[in-house]
Amino acid sequence: MTPLERVRTLVEAAREVAADAGVVAPLVLSTGLSPEGVALALHRCLETHPTDDDLAALVGRSSPARSVHVILSANVFTAPLRALAVACASSPAVTVRPSRREPVFTRALLARTANLGILEVDANVAAITAGEVHVYGRDETVAMVRAAAAPGVRVRAHGAGMGAALISERADLEAAARVLAEDVVAFDQRGCSSPRVALVVGSPRRGERFAALLDAALGALSRAIPRGRLDDAEARDARRYVETITFAGLLLRGETHAVGFAVGPLLVPPPGRHVHVTVADTLATARACLQPVERLLVAIGTDDATAVQEIVEARVRICQLGEMQRAPLDGPVDLR
Amino acid sequence: MPEPFDALAVDLARFQATHVAGYGRLCRARGAAPSTFAVARDAPAVPTEAFKVSRVASFPDREALAVFRTSGTTVGARGSHAMRRPATYDVAAVAFGRWALTTGLALPLPVLALAPPPDEAPDSSLCHMMQLFIGTFSGSPGTPDDFFLRDGILELAALDARVSSAMVARRPVLLLGTSFAFVHLLDAVGEAGFRLPEGSRVMQTGGFKGRSREVDAGELRSTLASALGVDERAVISEYGMTELSSQFYEATGRDTSARPGVLVEPPWARVVPVDAETLEPVPDGAVGIARIEDLMNVDSAFAVLAADRVRRVPGGFELLGRFPGAPPRGCSIAVDEILGPS
Repeated sequence: MTPLERVRTLVEAAREVAADAGVVAPLVLSTGLSPEGVALALHRCLETHPTDDDLAALVGRSSPARSVHVILSANVFTAPLRALAVACASSPAVTVRPSRREPVFTRALLARTANLGILEVDANVAAITAGEVHVYGRDETVAMVRAAAAPGVRVRAHGAGMGAALISERADLEAAARVLAEDVVAFDQRGCSSPRVALVVGSPRRGERFAALLDAALGALSRAIPRGRLDDAEARDARRYVETITFAGLLLRGETHAVGFAVGPLLVPPPGRHVHVTVADTLATARACLQPVERLLVAIGTDDATAVQEIVEARVRICQLGEMQRAPLDGPVDLR
Repeated sequence: MPEPFDALAVDLARFQATHVAGYGRLCRARGAAPSTFAVARDAPAVPTEAFKVSRVASFPDREALAVFRTSGTTVGARGSHAMRRPATYDVAAVAFGRWALTTGLALPLPVLALAPPPDEAPDSSLCHMMQLFIGTFSGSPGTPDDFFLRDGILELAALDARVSSAMVARRPVLLLGTSFAFVHLLDAVGEAGFRLPEGSRVMQTGGFKGRSREVDAGELRSTLASALGVDERAVISEYGMTELSSQFYEATGRDTSARPGVLVEPPWARVVPVDAETLEPVPDGAVGIARIEDLMNVDSAFAVLAADRVRRVPGGFELLGRFPGAPPRGCSIAVDEILGPS
């Protein structure tokens, strides 16, 4: 099979997984998402219908490798499709170590792609003597893998990251809030391109109005797609964010979400449907505001891509609001 | 008779709820009416992150005589703590520093700081405190020459000269420094060590913040004691932060029964471990995050919610590092990393 054929095989398998109602319950258990959250991810975020151009770009971005071992993380359960597609575009010899917390989706894909020969292995990285290791996870995990890799083994790493939204001065605030809420709700905001902060270009009053609209949009969306469970660390950090923003600005809180608004430096809230909104009077100010988190930025959602191109590095994906969790299947989400 | 701690705390909380807008909001959001406060724990605590994103002060900017700032991290804003009357901070720092660090020593004595001089770090509360200690305990006002870290480089020759002078004069010294500065010192002197005059004491504080290799606290204590030729009990840990006006110390320098690793509060401050989610005090001996009640924080926040885990033990409290930030998995950046250490 050619690299493109291998990738297409994976995409076909992903379509079958998405159509299999039997995967929802185990995914609810393994991900902590609500059943509706799992369904949203499968039917809206999973890349089941990529364009030919996207797939060609994905293959074009990959360089041939003798073999690829993929180490996956758990936060976005559909991510194994992209990770395996990138690996299969590079090599016909792919092994994978699924996340221990969330192996369900990977195994469902592997069960439908026996002809690709992807093996699930819990390989000792140090024992890999050739080819590539693709690792997705926390920076500590990435560092450990890099340290353990044998000489000659190439490690391609995708570490910690986050998303942001930039609402231009021309934006229809209500529409922007409605679609940004969709980006926040997907995967309960645990993705590396999930928006955690929103910068509104304009006055504090405009920023506050956007925060109120986002609060309303998240409240409405939460009725259709309830939030799943937070783990202990998320719950701890959520409480801390709530206390901080209550002190520092305005807290708008629903049953399962919170929107904070404050003028000043960015405050990054935890995942679990928490968004911090702040304002910048110009794009230049917005750039300065984002600077402290720039190295972490994987994606920016915006209604004005042209303007945003001017203020972020090329490695940051620029998406339409509402499309932040639907990056085209054209390579890794994280282009850093 | 001094006023009881709780009475002073309640007065401060009421004052701050009136004059610090954010604190008033926090009280209202928690349904905590300042007029009903009976004890310190009735009043909400202000998370340290609030110092990074807003002003925590009961007075206008123009009245600030000092503004201390956190060291900052690779990401995120620096926190700032404005003081209308730094003299309050100074008096408290010197009083408890004297208690913890100099008991049993003949004053004045040479005080040497492994830290940048205040002109290089004018907004560092730690450098300010070291300057105070030099000025108070050494009997001279202190100069930049009492600081031995310049542009991040340890000035070992100058330090050696000062220590040698003290050695000849048979005078103990008080050596102050951050953990990472001490690691640099240890790395610089290697196996040869760097003996201090007999009876000297060492105050070490703070973490590593990526500025040196990391060393376990117990290992650092014993390695330092060995390299500097002092008893391990003479290596005294200090715990403080920019958002506070008080510090906490091990009592090993003054009390033969004090355990290393147990930090002691001054009479005007309390450390209460609380549940990180409910913010309620945890049972004695259980681990919680540090709610620090500091009566010297008159014009900012008398109760501060730190990010450090602590546990009450006989004689004081233990510092146990931080909770890992959410989330514990995946590529979504952890809040702990974003906010970073203060």
